[in-house]
Amino acid sequence: MANKKNKQKTPQQQQYEQLEKKFETKRPVLKNCIKAFFVGGLICTIGQVISYFYIYFFHFTEQTSGNPTSATVIFFSMLLTGFGIYDRLGQFAGAGSAVPVSGFGNSIISAAIEHRTEGFVLGVGGNIFKLAGSVILFGVFSAFVVALVKTIIMELGGL
Amino acid sequence: MKSKQKIVYFLFILSFLLAGCEKDYSSVSRWALLKTVDPKPIAIGDKENGADQQAVEEIKKETSETDGIYDVAVVKGAKDIIVAYKVEHMHRFKMKSIEKELKDKLKKNFPDEQFTVSSDFKIFLETVRLYDRIEHNQYSEKEANKRVKQIIALKKELT
Repeated sequence: MANKKNKQKTPQQQQYEQLEKKFETKRPVLKNCIKAFFVGGLICTIGQVISYFYIYFFHFTEQTSGNPTSATVIFFSMLLTGFGIYDRLGQFAGAGSAVPVSGFGNSIISAAIEHRTEGFVLGVGGNIFKLAGSVILFGVFSAFVVALVKTIIMELGGL
Repeated sequence: MKSKQKIVYFLFILSFLLAGCEKDYSSVSRWALLKTVDPKPIAIGDKENGADQQAVEEIKKETSETDGIYDVAVVKGAKDIIVAYKVEHMHRFKMKSIEKELKDKLKKNFPDEQFTVSSDFKIFLETVRLYDRIEHNQYSEKEANKRVKQIIALKKELT
């Protein structure tokens, strides 16, 4: 496929591509991965500590402590986004800060801040779920599909 | 320099505030989530013949011998016996099969008893706290039995 495309290009285009490659800065993929691994791991460790906090001081079991823990992590990431700290963390760690549930809070608040100038209703209200909306939609829909499949299997007599 | 001083003051005040949250638990349950505490098995209201005590000790021995299990807490109430345990880190992938194996083993060896088996940290913590309070005579037999029922209800909670 790539060769086919290359054949269609003129010699000047190919020459320019080679020249472009020479000056292109290389992405430090391994370094980025390591950074993401450690920052993501750190966020998850904090989450684990919060989970233990809920287990130790409140009436939450290991199974039920997940909900308040993710809510707390999202709340803190929202605060940090508002203060402008999470953006710097995002620049440093990339996917390490976006993939954990804290990235969800970041995506909501950063969209709200970005569209603040367009007004509260059409700007903030209309765009606050611009990024997180798809996550919520797919989450709810896939949960619905899984529940439907499980119900059908259980109704048919279970596994 | 001033911000550093502020942080030191903040930590100093925070340590006092957090110290206020400390409850009067003995050292056994205080560290139950972090390290192996291995509490003695207890049969509530068994002061006359000691048969129940012997049974719970046997239950604890059986449980500890199961592959992947360490740190077992056993408390026998009026009707139910709570068996709470921790699972070794790499064995946590097959937690369900370990629970099933243990349940089958206990049912086979002690057919007359009713068991509540759990690997949940919260159930373990509460069982050790109950053990602590019984040991320090903070609970009457009635209160201890009530607490056993509460722990079993907590185990059944899903949300």
